[in-house]
Amino acid sequence: MILPTPKQKAQWEEEGYLVFENAIQGEDLKRLQNAFDYWADACKTEWLDSVEAGEAAATFYDIPNPLEKDPIFIDIIDYPSYYGALMTFTDHELILLGPQVRTVAPWPVSYTGWHPDVGYDNPLHIKVQIYVNDVEPGGGEFGFVPGSHKPGSGPYTRPMRQESMTGHKTFPGKAGTAIMFNSCGWHVSMDNHSGTPRKSIILIYEKRTPGRVKPEQFAAISAYCQTPERRALFSLNG
Amino acid sequence: MPRIDSHLHVFTKASPEFPRETTAVCPAEREESAEKLLSVMTEHQIDQAVLVQMGGASIAHHRYLLHCLEEYPNRFLGIGLVPEAHPNPAEHMAALTDNTGIIGFRFSTFGGPRDIFAKMDVREFAAYPIWKSAAERDYVLWLYPNAINAHLLPYLIQEFPQVRVVLNHLAACPGKGKFNWDEFGRPQIQVTGYNLFMHTTYRLARFENVNVHLSGQYAFSREEFPYKDLAGWHRGLLSGFGAKRLMWATDFPWILEEPGYDKLTTVIEELLPNLSEAELADIMGGNAKRILRFPDL
Repeated sequence: MILPTPKQKAQWEEEGYLVFENAIQGEDLKRLQNAFDYWADACKTEWLDSVEAGEAAATFYDIPNPLEKDPIFIDIIDYPSYYGALMTFTDHELILLGPQVRTVAPWPVSYTGWHPDVGYDNPLHIKVQIYVNDVEPGGGEFGFVPGSHKPGSGPYTRPMRQESMTGHKTFPGKAGTAIMFNSCGWHVSMDNHSGTPRKSIILIYEKRTPGRVKPEQFAAISAYCQTPERRALFSLNG
Repeated sequence: MPRIDSHLHVFTKASPEFPRETTAVCPAEREESAEKLLSVMTEHQIDQAVLVQMGGASIAHHRYLLHCLEEYPNRFLGIGLVPEAHPNPAEHMAALTDNTGIIGFRFSTFGGPRDIFAKMDVREFAAYPIWKSAAERDYVLWLYPNAINAHLLPYLIQEFPQVRVVLNHLAACPGKGKFNWDEFGRPQIQVTGYNLFMHTTYRLARFENVNVHLSGQYAFSREEFPYKDLAGWHRGLLSGFGAKRLMWATDFPWILEEPGYDKLTTVIEELLPNLSEAELADIMGGNAKRILRFPDL
C-alpha cells in the first residue's frame, strides 16, 4: 500500500483533491482499456433502446454491472497507487458504494452542471475518476473548485457556463490518470468539444457507517474478494 | 402585468366547417370551445392564452384555431402543426402565419441521428428546413421532444440562435411506449424516478433563446395536486433557466375535472414557494407576454 505523503495529505485537507498521474499504466491500463471498449460496445445497443424508451439519459452511458463483467474492474477498486490514500483519509474504514464505467459523448454542452454530490454532514464521501483515454482540454475533462469541500466555503452558485465557475481548476490528463476528490466539493465535467468521447471510470467510496451497503450488493463477485480487506471494502461481511 | 396561460387546447365538434381528427378521448361530438375556456379564464383572472393546435396538422385542420384567433385577437395567440414529411414545410407554415395570430409551430422530432455518438451535420436533419424558416420568419418553435430526439436539440439551437424556443411541459422528453390516458381523460407519461432531463433538456439553459413551460405536472407526477414530488424538477428549472424564462400553463382542457383549473392557477406558488412576487408575476404571464409578444389588453 502506498501511503500519501505529508504534502499530499496537506493538499487533500486544504484543497480537497489529489491527482495521481500514471496511476494505472502498462499492461493493467491495456487490460482496462480493452475491457472498457469491449463492454461499452457490447452494451451500446441496449442503452440506445433505453434512451428511446425514456429510461436512460441520451448524453452518456454506463456499462451495467461492470464488476461482474471483467476482473479488471474489480482490481482497480483497491489499486495500489491510490488505495493507500483512500484508506488513510477514511481511517481504514473504506467501503465501495459503486463504480460508474462511463462513456460521455461529445456534445455542445456538458451533460451536467457544477454541483457537489453530498452535504457536509455526510460521512466522508470520495470519488476517484480514472481516465481510460487521453482527455485533452475541452474534451470533457474533470473540473473542481479547490477548497469547496470545506464547510464555510462559498457560497457557490451554478453558473450558466462551466468555465465561469469562480475559482475552478480543470484536469485534462493522460489515460491512466486518477483524480481523487472529496464529493462535498463542487465539481463538473467540462464541455466536450473535442469530437472524442470521454471514457472514464468513476469509483465512489465512503467512510463506513453501519448498514450503508448491504452484503448482497456485491455478492456476485464474492469469489474475487477472498482477503479480509477486500471483503470489508465490498461490505461482504455486513 | 397580465396573467397568461401559455399552453392549452381548444376544439369544437368535428364538422365540414371545422374538420378535425377524432380519437377515443376527443370523439367527433366533444367540444372544448374558446368560449368555455374564456369563461374559465375570466373566473380565475387569467387574461390571455396560447392555443395549441390539435386534431390534425393540415391547413384545414387548423380552421377552428384560426377562427378563435380571429374572433379574439387580443386574448389568444396560436401554435400550429406541420404534417410529418411535408414536402414544403416553409410554404405550409407561411400559409398559416399570414397575419393570423399563429406565431409558431409544435414538434417532437428533428430527424437527426438516433445515436449521439454519430457524426452530426445539422443541415442533414429533417427538421433543418423548419428551423431555417423559423429563423427567417421569426416563428416560435414549441418543442416536446421524444426521448430519442433530445440530444439533437443543441445542434439546431446553436445553428439558429435567433429562434425563440419553448420547451413544453417541464422540458420533459417522453419515452417510446410511455404514454397513456388516465381515468380522467388526461395524458399520463411514465418517467423514471431519477430525473434524466437534467442531463439533456435542462442543459439547454446555456442558450438564452430557450424557455420552458411549467405545466403538465399531472402527467408526470405520482402524487395528487400539488404534485410535490415534482418540486425538485421545478427548482432545477428555476435554478438553470431563471425566473425570466419560465412560463406557467394549465394544458386545458385535460385538467378541468382533475385537479381543476382553479387549483392549477396556484401550482407555481405551491411548488416554488420562495419566489418573489415579481418572479411569480413573470412566470404567471409577464414572460409569456414578453417572449411571445402578446398584444396589450
